[in-house]
Amino acid sequence: MTRRGGVSRRRFLGRSAVAIGGWATAGVAPRVAFTAATETLRVGVIGCGSRGTEAADNCVAAAPGVQITALADAFVDRLKGLKEKYKVPDQRCFVGLDAWRQLLALSDVDMVILATPPGFRPMHFAAAVEAGKHIFTEKPVAVCAAGVRDMLEAAKRSEEKKLCVAAGTQRRHDPRYVETMKRIHDGAIGDLVSAQCYWNQGGLWVKPREPKMTDVEWQLRNWLYFVWLSGDHIVEQHVHNIDVINWAFRALPDQVHSLGGRQFRTGPEFGNIYDHFGTEFFYPGDVRTISMCRQIQGTTGNVSERVVGTKGVSDCAGTIAGEEPWKYEGPTPNPYVEEHRHWIEAIRGGPYLNEARQVTESTMCAIMARESAYSQQQMKREWFMQRCELDLRPRPDLKMTDPLPVTPVAVPGKYQLPGMVKEPQGRRG
Amino acid sequence: MDRRTDGIAKNTGRAALAAAGLAPGVRAAGSDEIRVGLLGCGGRGSGAVRHCLAADPGVVVVALADLFPDKARKLRDALLKDPKYKNRIRVPDDAIFGGFDCYEQLAKSDTHLLLMATAPAFRPWEMMAAIQAGKHVFTEKPIATDVAGCRLFMEASRLAEQKGLAIVAGTQRRHEFNRIELMKRIHDGAIGELVGGQCYWFGGGIWYRGRDWEMTEFEWQCHNWYHFTWLSGDQICEQHIHNIDVLNWCFNGPPKKFTAVGGRATRDYSEQAKKVAQAFGRPDDWAKYNGDIWDHIVSEFEYPNGARCLSFCGHGPGTDRSNEKIVGTKGVSDCARRILDHKGGKIWEYEGPSVNGQEQEHVDLIRSIRAGKPINHGIRIAESTLTAIGGRIAAYTGRTFTWDWLLNASKNALVPDPSKWKPGPGLFFPIPNGAAPLE
Repeated sequence: MTRRGGVSRRRFLGRSAVAIGGWATAGVAPRVAFTAATETLRVGVIGCGSRGTEAADNCVAAAPGVQITALADAFVDRLKGLKEKYKVPDQRCFVGLDAWRQLLALSDVDMVILATPPGFRPMHFAAAVEAGKHIFTEKPVAVCAAGVRDMLEAAKRSEEKKLCVAAGTQRRHDPRYVETMKRIHDGAIGDLVSAQCYWNQGGLWVKPREPKMTDVEWQLRNWLYFVWLSGDHIVEQHVHNIDVINWAFRALPDQVHSLGGRQFRTGPEFGNIYDHFGTEFFYPGDVRTISMCRQIQGTTGNVSERVVGTKGVSDCAGTIAGEEPWKYEGPTPNPYVEEHRHWIEAIRGGPYLNEARQVTESTMCAIMARESAYSQQQMKREWFMQRCELDLRPRPDLKMTDPLPVTPVAVPGKYQLPGMVKEPQGRRG
Repeated sequence: MDRRTDGIAKNTGRAALAAAGLAPGVRAAGSDEIRVGLLGCGGRGSGAVRHCLAADPGVVVVALADLFPDKARKLRDALLKDPKYKNRIRVPDDAIFGGFDCYEQLAKSDTHLLLMATAPAFRPWEMMAAIQAGKHVFTEKPIATDVAGCRLFMEASRLAEQKGLAIVAGTQRRHEFNRIELMKRIHDGAIGELVGGQCYWFGGGIWYRGRDWEMTEFEWQCHNWYHFTWLSGDQICEQHIHNIDVLNWCFNGPPKKFTAVGGRATRDYSEQAKKVAQAFGRPDDWAKYNGDIWDHIVSEFEYPNGARCLSFCGHGPGTDRSNEKIVGTKGVSDCARRILDHKGGKIWEYEGPSVNGQEQEHVDLIRSIRAGKPINHGIRIAESTLTAIGGRIAAYTGRTFTWDWLLNASKNALVPDPSKWKPGPGLFFPIPNGAAPLE
């Protein structure tokens, strides 16, 4: 197979850029310059549901000369919208559980958007790296310890191959956050001593099981509710906020203790995930933070972050209070477009961008918290990384017709976390 | 008003004697006896009465009351066998009170000081009766299980203030020398402005009591009180209040805002509940005997200065935790003995003597009575109880609300009026689903 090496492609684009006046090093490039000077970037979308569709639209809106040229999804009906909108020919639309393989085999796809349920992500990501594609990966990027290790390995490979990787943690591309974080890192609120993050919201959609649906189809269409597919809502959704706190600390928590359960969404249509988690993360220096997430209809919503330092407090999103008060007053572009713009700029020779490791680490923190809640054990990151044997990865040859019973909802005390012998984590307060 | 009690409270002239170690006469006759009655003769009550006896040689136990009078008699017999205290146990049969009105009978007894250790649901009414009768009170924590109860308790506390009566609560950390010295320093700014904190009580499960003798459902619920929120307040209120009270101590008052999540993930007494159902002749209706409390609640308390603190509690098979931590702009503290700067360097460590807080709380109480300067911690323990109840309501409803709303507007009232405390059918509520109506 002739791989279009990311390196050579990037070099080519880089040379073009230099040739037209060195915009690549000038920070924000005037769009007209690279429109004229660069060839079309061809994007394949793997996972054409609502997130994949939005990501494709954001990608096209982010820069000129970007085309959606190939699609893959497990279901033909999910793929239809993008197919019609971007007039993708039949022979470049792939359907089924192995559709992604066919898409990645297309040598004229430069870059891919990975937006399937995250349980498949490590497999898709590693394959996309091997195929030499630049990658936009939705968050989260794994649902289990084995998947995290796969991702870390693939992230390393992607760096070696100089592939550009952006992740769907869009706050990292939102100037309100970016500018706030710069100031926090420059000491505007002093040393960080406390923090909180939340994703508390109501309920989400459910697709009723139709008689003709196989186990696999029913679970895929309701992927949010199955741990092997979504990682539970703390991983699938709250990873955004956990990622912000990791960003603020420029470090990962070294321990976690979480409590959670399923108090409201108890029916079988909600698979095997919880509906609430209350988590404490311990950052280096025993700095303890609150993470709270809930999906229960009718409850008080709050999606935000907050960090507290010795000299001030910040919402991480444009406001600093304390000794050096500050408010972001610059432009507020759509961060879902910005993440694609930065990715495309990097591919076209701008500053190198690879967020694979970072999004994997934040994903891991969320998984670790989930496992702490499922077992009620306080857990060290080191233990999780080195000893946890939890492996929820789908078989690469999974078939739509395979029987796939739903594993029971985790009940602390009964739940067995692979790799945990008794209580190897040690205690701390 | 009981003249003798009034005598203790008002007899400031004898304070000097007390300070000199000479027990002042607390009765007109010149005796230094403190006549004590105990309400609630279960495990905590029998502990509290011993701590009280140990706290002061003038303490004489003269009355015992319990919903189940057998418990009171058993406790009297046990105390009479205790060589340390038997000479100070003077409880004739007619000073053993039973039944749901036993608290009223005890309030009328010839006593100075009442110790309260029943299930907390009844405490506000017990307290009001005691204060109206002019008794000093030691009350176990928590002091109520609902908002209405906290308000009634606060009313009784204000009445006690007017009448010069003492109220000391069983939050013993407030009486430990190390913590008192530490808190002085925190309040004096040793760790700067308070910007965060954590408190925990997560541990193993608790007893479940079956229908151990012939009794009605309502009586059985009172016997197995921990498992019903209207009786115990749930674990956050019944147990974790200790740690919540320490955070409130750090901030010198309750939080201004509450947010919480929680549920019942592992608590299961189906086997025992089925036996209870059998005993009541309702084998198919067993689920309600399983109780309605949760087994985990994680709350965020936002204090008036904006500091957001974690409260983490429950019962389950996971990692045990029970302590507190407070975070300031200049350092941190374990809320027990030590203050560190943010680099881990020691700023201060307590090196004085240690005391048993559960005994010291009685020492402090009786000393204040003898000195004629009765301590009144009533409002404070009501605020800490209400803080815990606030966490619980935030978790049960999934709603965020303020202290002002909770204290002044909430209609939360789970405990029936005392006229309804009688043998008969039980009072059962569904297990909250995390989106209960906020009222």
